[in-house]
Amino acid sequence: MNRTVLVRLSMVATAAVLTLTACSSSGSSDSDSDDESSAGDGSAFTDTPAEGGTVQMLQNADFSYLDPARGWDGGVNNFYRLVYRTLTTSAPGNADDANAIVPDLATDLGTPSEDGLTWTFTLKDGVRFEDGTPITSADVKFGVSRAWDPEIGIGSPYARQVIDAPEGYEGPYRSGPLETIETPDEKTIVFHLKEPFPEFGSVVSQPNFVPFPEGSGAGDEFITGLIASGPYKLESYSPGSSIKLERNEEWDPETDDVREAYPDAWEFVIGLDPATIDERMLAGQGADVNAISGSVQPATLPRLQGPEMEDRTLRFTGVCTTYMGLNSTKPPLDDVRVRQAINYAVDKSAVQVASGGGQLADVATTILPPTVGGYRDYDIYPSEGHTGDAEAAQALLDEAGQSDGFSMVLDIRSQPKMQAQAEAIQQSLGNVGIDVELNVIDTSTFYETIGTPELQNDAAITGWCPDWASSASTFLPPLFDGRNITDRGNANLAQINDETVNARIDEITAMTDLDAANEEWGQLDEEIMELAPIVPLVVEGNITVPGENVTGLHSSPGVATGGIDLVLVGLRDPERG
Amino acid sequence: MLRFLLARLSGLILILLLVCVCTFAVFFVLSPDPAVQICGKNCTPELIDQIRANLGLDEPLLSQFLSFVGGLFAGRTYGAGDAATHCAAPCLGYSFQSSQPVWEMVTERLPVTVTVAIGAAVLWLLAGVVGGLISALKQGTWWDRGAMLVALSGLSIPNYVFALVLQYVLVVQLEWLPFPQAVGFAADPWQWFANYLMPWTVLAFAYASVYARLTRANVIDTLAENYVRTARAKGLPSHLVVRRHALRPALTPITTIFGMDFAGLLGGALITESVFGLNGVGKLTADAISSNDQPVIMGVTLLAAFFVVAGNVVVDLTYTALDPRVRVKSV
Repeated sequence: MNRTVLVRLSMVATAAVLTLTACSSSGSSDSDSDDESSAGDGSAFTDTPAEGGTVQMLQNADFSYLDPARGWDGGVNNFYRLVYRTLTTSAPGNADDANAIVPDLATDLGTPSEDGLTWTFTLKDGVRFEDGTPITSADVKFGVSRAWDPEIGIGSPYARQVIDAPEGYEGPYRSGPLETIETPDEKTIVFHLKEPFPEFGSVVSQPNFVPFPEGSGAGDEFITGLIASGPYKLESYSPGSSIKLERNEEWDPETDDVREAYPDAWEFVIGLDPATIDERMLAGQGADVNAISGSVQPATLPRLQGPEMEDRTLRFTGVCTTYMGLNSTKPPLDDVRVRQAINYAVDKSAVQVASGGGQLADVATTILPPTVGGYRDYDIYPSEGHTGDAEAAQALLDEAGQSDGFSMVLDIRSQPKMQAQAEAIQQSLGNVGIDVELNVIDTSTFYETIGTPELQNDAAITGWCPDWASSASTFLPPLFDGRNITDRGNANLAQINDETVNARIDEITAMTDLDAANEEWGQLDEEIMELAPIVPLVVEGNITVPGENVTGLHSSPGVATGGIDLVLVGLRDPERG
Repeated sequence: MLRFLLARLSGLILILLLVCVCTFAVFFVLSPDPAVQICGKNCTPELIDQIRANLGLDEPLLSQFLSFVGGLFAGRTYGAGDAATHCAAPCLGYSFQSSQPVWEMVTERLPVTVTVAIGAAVLWLLAGVVGGLISALKQGTWWDRGAMLVALSGLSIPNYVFALVLQYVLVVQLEWLPFPQAVGFAADPWQWFANYLMPWTVLAFAYASVYARLTRANVIDTLAENYVRTARAKGLPSHLVVRRHALRPALTPITTIFGMDFAGLLGGALITESVFGLNGVGKLTADAISSNDQPVIMGVTLLAAFFVVAGNVVVDLTYTALDPRVRVKSV
């Protein structure tokens, strides 16, 4: 073994140990992302797979929950689609518009009443649970009512936010059936909303709208088990080690336009060290030719450079924006000119390098990433090569009476990549006399600190991903609606509370024409950036090296936060491996 | 003897209680709010409170602690009415992250850890004691120097580096061994052996180094004792001198550290299990710490403490068998 191999190995080793402490599995804003912009020979990844075989997924962390009322994050939402169906769902990754929401169990995206307060959905014929019982509107109603259970309903918040429910309703096990959801017959389900919500057709794509037979899922029944409505059912689950899925024979492909379900079985191998996953994917020995995995470790990137690896490397651009929030309650950041100056001064290309370079990250100049509906390309704080414009920044600082500069505290997680990003920011702001002090916080305390206005410092680096990609309604309002500022769990890091922005959010949220609304979201993106509450830094993508025998690899911005859409994946040759 | 055992047993319970208090203090009192982490994105203060209530974190700390200890001995019931679930003693509570019973999580993973520990122990005892003994007998020769050089590198190479180098060479380059997975012995003995061989070797390498150096030093010391000279002067054959007079006293300190080391390993080999993706107790610990999963941390810490204390008792018992002087004093 020569010296370079040793050096490389020790780098991998260090990274491996660092990641032991850096992976938090909860549904926070880590970027786990991609879309259709592959390097190498793209076509090889998108061939039509053959039927049969077992696809393996190698991963470090276990999924959060098998129970879709509890789990809600990029990784598990993607998994849920293999075993569960909802009224609507994100379009498959190979659709013309992969951002769209399409019907799944329902025949269409729902029909609102004149006043927008009542939504009616009709179930398709021939949809069944894994034991062969037909899925009825009562099962959908029962499934979604679990979202109100205080112990179980810790997943997606949209059902509780949007659907009208009696005061103090606590789910079917404690409070009985949810009377505000009507089921006039076995095929029809009627929801009553608190207020009109034109995108309700997207809300019912959330995982907690999965149907379950009445009475099932009490206590911890769905902690280690599940009742499948999708193409696969649970064969075995050993928490932290493996999940095996086998075909659900009761699933009828005729009723499903989204899932291809090529392989006969799936095996999720969990608990592997990230560096080991990369080694296995690169080596591709034995059954690993049938494996896929998440994004490679930064330390592995240099090894993908050779021509031999180029064809095997699949790149997706992200759906999550990494940004620096500027706390507008802390002087001098309360002055919009100072925040604008910071926007000018930050060397985003250095941040891009810190994020793994052009292979892994694109520079962001807008709040919305390109893969989310409503995205409009603009840059109101331009600089050559995105290296920062110190002169423009200095001019604004002078105007704001901050010629001598000031110091500010930047909250970051103790994670190598984020520290590198913060150092790039620190350096470029130092050029205009702003002294940035890095406040490195342990991952477990980070979100508590930045989400609690009392504890929050001047600025923080974090990220945001959409809950569905068809519009910006799950992106801009949570981050910039001033009425959503809370004393804990706050997402509006800038604490920006601008009446014009709030009014615009209300106006666009009420629009029933999605295309027109998206047009407006794109406008609002720029209007918000004029107030400079954040500095968009990068959109982090991901790079994976799928096994040679795996194909049907498309990204889904909606269901997988941009990752590989599992329902389309399959093997070229099911006999191999 | 019985009194000795009883005293040790009550000491064990006392130490476990102390460990309980300390772990609880560190992970429940001083560490950040796990509810915020679980809450994740689109979090609201109401949801945080709800999660805190679900986890029992809204109770006063003292009553949280008392119900934990109570659960250990008598089991406890979570929730009320239809939604109630009973957790039988010894109840370690439920994981904050996955809602699984901690007792199950730990016991499910224990076989992997025990397999890793036993296999590694066999390897390191063989390599360490035999290597150290030969070195001592052939003091100053090329064998001695070579063996001690290997031992020194075993001590100085961090085992995660060694693990990855070994994996790179044996699995990626030479393809002699598979990427380790926890295969059951009953399922396929050969695969079992092939999959565990690397973890065993990695763990054993570091330990064997210590044992080899210790054995060598002890044997050399005892060989210089007067009674050994007397034995030789009586004309006792060399192999008997070594076996009866030198090795036995040299091995008593080895027994002590072996008991401690092995018991410690049963609490989980954090790095080795993590690097090789073996889902043992060590991997569970590493995951629980990084996700601040307090009940799991409590559970694995108690388990590790139990093994260490129990290991000590076993060492003491073995000592009395090995060393007649201790026997006289303790009874």
